[in-house]
Amino acid sequence: MFGKLLSTLLISFHLFAILCVSFSEENPTDRRVLVLLEDFAIKSSHSLFFKSLETRGFDLDFKLADDPKLALQRYGKYLYDAVILFSPTIDRFGGSIDAASLLEFVDSGHDLILAADASASELIREIAVECGVDFDEDPAALVIDHMSYAVSETEEDHTLIASDDFIQSEVILGSTKIEAPVLFKGIGHSINPANNLVLTVLSASPAAYSANPKSKLSNPPTLTGSAISLVSIVQARNNARILISGSLSMFSNRFFRSGVQKAGTTSKHEKCGNEQFLTELSKWVFHESGHLKAVNVKHHKVGEKDEPSMYRIKDDLDYSVEVYEWSGTSWEPYLADDLQVQFYMMSPYVLKTLSTDQKGLYYTSFKVPDVYGVFQFKVEYQRLGYTSLSLSKQIPVRPFRHNEYERFIPAAYPYYGASFSMMSGFFIFTMVYLYTK
Amino acid sequence: MARNLEFLVVALLVFASSCESAIFNPVSESHRSAALELFSPADGSFGSLEETYEALKTCEVLGIEKKPDIRISACASVVDTLLSTSTAVKDLFHALRVNGILKCELNDEAFAGIESRLKDSLNNANSLLDFYYSIGGLVLIKDQTSAVDVLLTDADKISRSIKALSQSDGRWRLNSNNPESSNDAAGKALEALAGVISLASSEIDQSLIATLKNDIAKLFDGVARYDDGTCYFDEKLVDARGHQGPLSASASVVRGITAFAEVTTESLNVRVSTVLGSSAPPLTVKLMQTFISGSKDASIIDQIVFDDPEQKKNYATGGRTKVPIHVTGAITIDSAEIAILDSDIGSPETQKKLDLPGENAVALSANHLQKLMLSFRLTTPSGHAFKPHQDFLGLVEKFYYLSGKYDIQLTVGDSVMENSFLQPLGHIELDLPDAPEKAARPPPQPVDPYSRYGPKAEITHIFRAPEKRPPRELSLAFLGLVFLPLFGFLAGLFYLRANLKNLPKSTVPATFAILFHLGIAAVLALYALFWFKLDLFTTLKALGLLGMFLMFVGHKTLSHLASTSAKLKSA
Repeated sequence: MFGKLLSTLLISFHLFAILCVSFSEENPTDRRVLVLLEDFAIKSSHSLFFKSLETRGFDLDFKLADDPKLALQRYGKYLYDAVILFSPTIDRFGGSIDAASLLEFVDSGHDLILAADASASELIREIAVECGVDFDEDPAALVIDHMSYAVSETEEDHTLIASDDFIQSEVILGSTKIEAPVLFKGIGHSINPANNLVLTVLSASPAAYSANPKSKLSNPPTLTGSAISLVSIVQARNNARILISGSLSMFSNRFFRSGVQKAGTTSKHEKCGNEQFLTELSKWVFHESGHLKAVNVKHHKVGEKDEPSMYRIKDDLDYSVEVYEWSGTSWEPYLADDLQVQFYMMSPYVLKTLSTDQKGLYYTSFKVPDVYGVFQFKVEYQRLGYTSLSLSKQIPVRPFRHNEYERFIPAAYPYYGASFSMMSGFFIFTMVYLYTK
Repeated sequence: MARNLEFLVVALLVFASSCESAIFNPVSESHRSAALELFSPADGSFGSLEETYEALKTCEVLGIEKKPDIRISACASVVDTLLSTSTAVKDLFHALRVNGILKCELNDEAFAGIESRLKDSLNNANSLLDFYYSIGGLVLIKDQTSAVDVLLTDADKISRSIKALSQSDGRWRLNSNNPESSNDAAGKALEALAGVISLASSEIDQSLIATLKNDIAKLFDGVARYDDGTCYFDEKLVDARGHQGPLSASASVVRGITAFAEVTTESLNVRVSTVLGSSAPPLTVKLMQTFISGSKDASIIDQIVFDDPEQKKNYATGGRTKVPIHVTGAITIDSAEIAILDSDIGSPETQKKLDLPGENAVALSANHLQKLMLSFRLTTPSGHAFKPHQDFLGLVEKFYYLSGKYDIQLTVGDSVMENSFLQPLGHIELDLPDAPEKAARPPPQPVDPYSRYGPKAEITHIFRAPEKRPPRELSLAFLGLVFLPLFGFLAGLFYLRANLKNLPKSTVPATFAILFHLGIAAVLALYALFWFKLDLFTTLKALGLLGMFLMFVGHKTLSHLASTSAKLKSA
């Protein structure tokens, strides 16, 4: 009886352990993804995108955005590692989800993909604004481009845009160059210049503008030219990643399979860049690429092995750290030549680029400055598309002890000589004074 | 996966009644490759017979030649399912459907066995799905073999029990206990009823068929349409089988109505044919009506009339199709000029002709009192004036009192204009007054993302320079100099003929005198030691002992010397 109970407990414990396979420090790729749809038709009309996620091992949970049973967390634990919002016109989420709870979800380090579309709801706009992205306020506005639109048989108002103005980053968009332009049909946004965490991944051409294509323009459009972002990403300080797109249809099977010919060019691409672009972006958002970790931070005096509790000014020291990059399945050595360490007290006293052995180990050595106080070894590594590394290790630095200064200074020899000549003179004088007759 | 198939099916079945469909594209190579991608068998077979059927049917409908080779495994699974005695009716139905396409080898006895099982379940059926699968199975048997008698003797009774599940709005319930009705169920019911009619051994009551037609008409009252005019049946019921989307509900309804229309003599107005990628027969398109919406987009509603009357039997023509047609043209731009005006009516101070669209590099200068005027005229090929949708200068909206050089760009574009352009015109030097104190500050400009992430410049600590020291030789020279007074002192003593003749001669005072001077030497040596290595406390201790000793021997020696000199004086 007791044994049976124990085995049940053990099994349930194992089950629990399996259920807990999710985002962790050691395995940073997301696993459980909540997909909020406006309509279940999106599940089939965007199935290629979802399928590519599923084949990469994601566990997608499709829910209607107004499902009254929606919840992001239970008993204080998050049920998901990421959320995909494919519900551009939803006014209120069902269940316990609202804008604040979604932002809290992101604030606790989880990821988000948000696709808006023409006539995006206030709710979606509010979430975007919190992420540093302002969609065009006119609900009927679309991005129009009379110069670089996609030649199409059915759409002739030049709102189907073929854009190839990508961000230059291999880690975000993959190492293979995206040859074909990306099709986009939706609303444009501008990014908040005060927010330096948000980046434009795909921007419109200089001739684009955001307006209602069906009505005459009464005022100059508020968003024009390359200031219009089509797709943006955010990497928060806690490395939570957000993808914001002004178009839901760019994720659709129709766009994934569509060919593209940019107006004014003769090159016709069999397949537009959407699938490659969005697959690579989703890899980035879900931490399959660009995730770094630093381990084994070590420092010691040159020629020693152990880390001292304190350095003396002008000591020579060795510093080393190992940095690895998550490849989606394993940790690979991170290769770069611009990792820097700072020896920091209020401001950096030493800032040095680390050398690498190309196997993940970064090292350098330098002399402790002749200023004493409490210093820090700091590695602040922020690169486009990578998670930021922020390491700091505190270490005090003391001045010379009294007996660590130079013992006999040549310049003082006359003083030493004076004392000794005085002393010998005194000795002779005592004898002579007492005993001379 | 089920919904994927139905998406394709709906794309093909554009039902007419009163819907003007949106732009309808014929099946192309891209649809086929998408279908092949969706239905990719995992290790040689699909998961279930239902999925196998969906894959095969899609391939058939789209005319995909290069089917995945699954015949052997699928047939094995079909035979297995059909011969097993414990298979559910639903699986029998799917197996028969797959068999209908693949034509696996089955003998008539097997069919007879299945037929009796299907009839048994039909007699015990109480839910719509039971009816649907049993009747569907029987119809499939009828199509696949002629040796088995599948005719229903009590067709009237069965059709009445199916009809009992219908609702007043034309929708149907899945079973009598469940009050919720759906469009999906309506489609299934109609298909089942069509099956009953085709299987009936005697004529079905005509009044029943008339009621059904009435129901179908009601069903179409509930049709919803998307913005582009495509009709669909919405589905709100979410049951245990998962949500049936509008696509799948519409597909089900269309399938039911089609099946029903096939078996009833009077045809319903349903269009099911579209161009399946094959070339169309010779036909004329008559323009029935032309709408001009706005001033630019013209829509044409056409009706297709076949040249060859024989073709009418093979191809049904449907409804009215609305095809938007766009007329575009090259717009000519002339009399373009840019000018700086002193006031609204004042004569231009500087005026320059522009070549649009072409290369321009104008250099202008202006201050805050002047106006910039850019004028050009657009003409359509037919000679009318043209107002484009996009015509604005790439200028900043507010200057924030920032003087300097501003670039001017002109963008002219419209969806009907073939030669839309974005052209830099040149630059203008603005001389603006200083900002008043309360003026709004210019908004922050976005930072270039690439510049923000580069490595920082290295910092090396500058160590404090060591104090300046005299050269060693100088110190040594002074060391020598410092010893000179000692030598001078010794020389002085020698000159004065200093001597030690007064040293006590008798043993005891002499010992005391020697000990006294050794003590002094020891104190001096202690000082030297203190300088070299000893710390203060050791030194003080030793000095205390030496001091007491010195006091004693010093007192003895000095008092001896004093008494000796007193004797001398008195003597």
